[in-house]
Amino acid sequence: MSITNAIEVKNLVKTYGDVYALKNVDLNIADGEYFVLLGPSGGGKTTLLRSIGGFIRPDSGTVDIKGKNVDDLPPDKRPTSMVFQGFALFPHMSVSENIGYGLKLQSIEKDIIETKVSRMMDLVGLTGLSKRKPHELSGGQQQRVQLARALILENDVLLLDEPLSALDAQLRKDMCIELKRLQKTVGISFVHVTHNQEEAMSVADRIAIIADGEMIEQGTPKEIYSNPRKKFTAEFIGEKNIFNGKILEFTKEKIIVDIDGASIEVANNNYNIVKNQNVSLSIKSESIQITKDKDTKPENQKNSIKGNVSEITFLGQFVRYLVLLNSGQEIQVRSYEEVSDINLNDAVKLSWKIEDFLLHES
Amino acid sequence: MSLRDDFQPRWKLALKWGWLSFAVFILMAPVFYTMYISFNELGFGAKYYIFTFQWYENVFSDRQLIGSLGWTMLLAIITLPIVIPFGLLSAKLYKQSTKKVWIVFVLLSPLFVPADILGSALLVFFKNLNKFFTIIAEYTGIYAFESWFDLGIMTAVIGLIVYTLPYVFVVIMITMARYRAEQTEAARDLGASAWRAFWEIEFPQIRAGVFSACAFVVILTFNEYTRTSLLKGGFDTFTSVLISQMLNTGMSEESYAMASIVSLVAIIIVSIILIVTAVRTEELEKITRVVKEPNK
Repeated sequence: MSITNAIEVKNLVKTYGDVYALKNVDLNIADGEYFVLLGPSGGGKTTLLRSIGGFIRPDSGTVDIKGKNVDDLPPDKRPTSMVFQGFALFPHMSVSENIGYGLKLQSIEKDIIETKVSRMMDLVGLTGLSKRKPHELSGGQQQRVQLARALILENDVLLLDEPLSALDAQLRKDMCIELKRLQKTVGISFVHVTHNQEEAMSVADRIAIIADGEMIEQGTPKEIYSNPRKKFTAEFIGEKNIFNGKILEFTKEKIIVDIDGASIEVANNNYNIVKNQNVSLSIKSESIQITKDKDTKPENQKNSIKGNVSEITFLGQFVRYLVLLNSGQEIQVRSYEEVSDINLNDAVKLSWKIEDFLLHES
Repeated sequence: MSLRDDFQPRWKLALKWGWLSFAVFILMAPVFYTMYISFNELGFGAKYYIFTFQWYENVFSDRQLIGSLGWTMLLAIITLPIVIPFGLLSAKLYKQSTKKVWIVFVLLSPLFVPADILGSALLVFFKNLNKFFTIIAEYTGIYAFESWFDLGIMTAVIGLIVYTLPYVFVVIMITMARYRAEQTEAARDLGASAWRAFWEIEFPQIRAGVFSACAFVVILTFNEYTRTSLLKGGFDTFTSVLISQMLNTGMSEESYAMASIVSLVAIIIVSIILIVTAVRTEELEKITRVVKEPNK
């Protein structure tokens, strides 16, 4: 069974003077998919979104929506709707006038507009607010008006440019649930731009990491979080324990990597590697076991390392330990329970399963 | 009250307001004095003051003054629909452009040229254009453009456009600075043409600035003397009548009455603009504040 693409982007390039905002970006977004463009600010994700929406004309490359090329179409002729970062509601119009504006432009009868607006207001949870002006609404309500205004046109794709960035943390979490629910209800493709990885993970079916105008990697939230292929992705999703090492030897099952004189065993997940190759490795702070070191032997085992606790921080749901290794590097360990006998400056042993260490392409 | 005001002695604040009121009084005193004279039956410099509306009655029966008022209004009415769209487009260009300093420099440059120099430069320019079209007519037999730039309404209007455009640009630009271009993008995204996005979304939000600019154009047309006098040709404008009376016979009592009417109308218009702008600004600031801090 072939999956229909709602959006197909090929070799998209956009420059501003000498600066590349997009470098040969390729992207396929399936019909009915919630797709998130995630990356640091200035990385090109909004440029990509605006190119899809027709607000920017790329230097080269093509954009197809539902199998039709839209390169020469302005925003009002594309089957997309946009939710803007700063809300962009019309302040001189009421909530219902804002939501119905797109239908009014299509010269649809007033009665039909009223019915559709009322239905859409119920869908996004704005019942009873039709007469209010945008400045009389809270941030969350304003965002719902934007969503309703965009969804009422029943276009094939909804583009969301940092839609939750102006909201506070709790409201952002609530709106993430709301967005996901809405997307399932209307069944169209959502393309959502954000620099917040938690927001991306909570709504996306698939995520694309974009930085410096390049597509770094794509995958499901689980793939991106648990098994990032690129070092940049690992760093961006908040991985603190990243090391540089050299491959000493490898078999089909495992790889031995030298990190500052310590030999570490890593499971071989079909990595494309050669002997003596310089590589990056990472391990999640919650995958490391921390125990008080009662062993007097100085040498490290293949899946453990020794160090001293340099900082202990209680962070509500977990305790964070910073451990200074003999090589001078610091490792972060996240434990969901406080290890009772470990105190500051104690000698500790860190251990892990060999499959928890991941190798990354630079 | 702001923090600064909280720590400021009340007498200092009173002193500031007193100074401001005094400065305004000094600036406006001649205008008020003109109004005062205009109600004196015995006219300027008389020992006694007898209140009368006589001079105002005379104004409305003075054909030359009323005629000049009509011509001046006509100039303003013709200038308005040309200079306002021009100013709007310039302000939009300014907002979209990355070369903002150059746009401001080009548009404000007529203000840096003294009025008499700009007026005479335009006069010479129009004379030469006329000569050029006469030569063209002689060679081609096309006489349609021959008298286009004869001094008259059109040349006076061009002079006024050059003079008023910088003011119109600045007034509209200030109002437009508060408008967020994302709203136009949102309207376009919802299916609006560029014109409908402007007319239905942007214009209602900059309307106060556009109307203020219109009022300024009318006031400036009444205010302008040098350029209009050089370029107007055979008809009289209100200022040219007033000044010629002053130079030839001294100001008549009717002139004082007329000047008072115009000053009063200008003060009323400017006050309305200030009040409307203040109310709009407060409203816009409230909206901007809510949008910036959506959860407050």
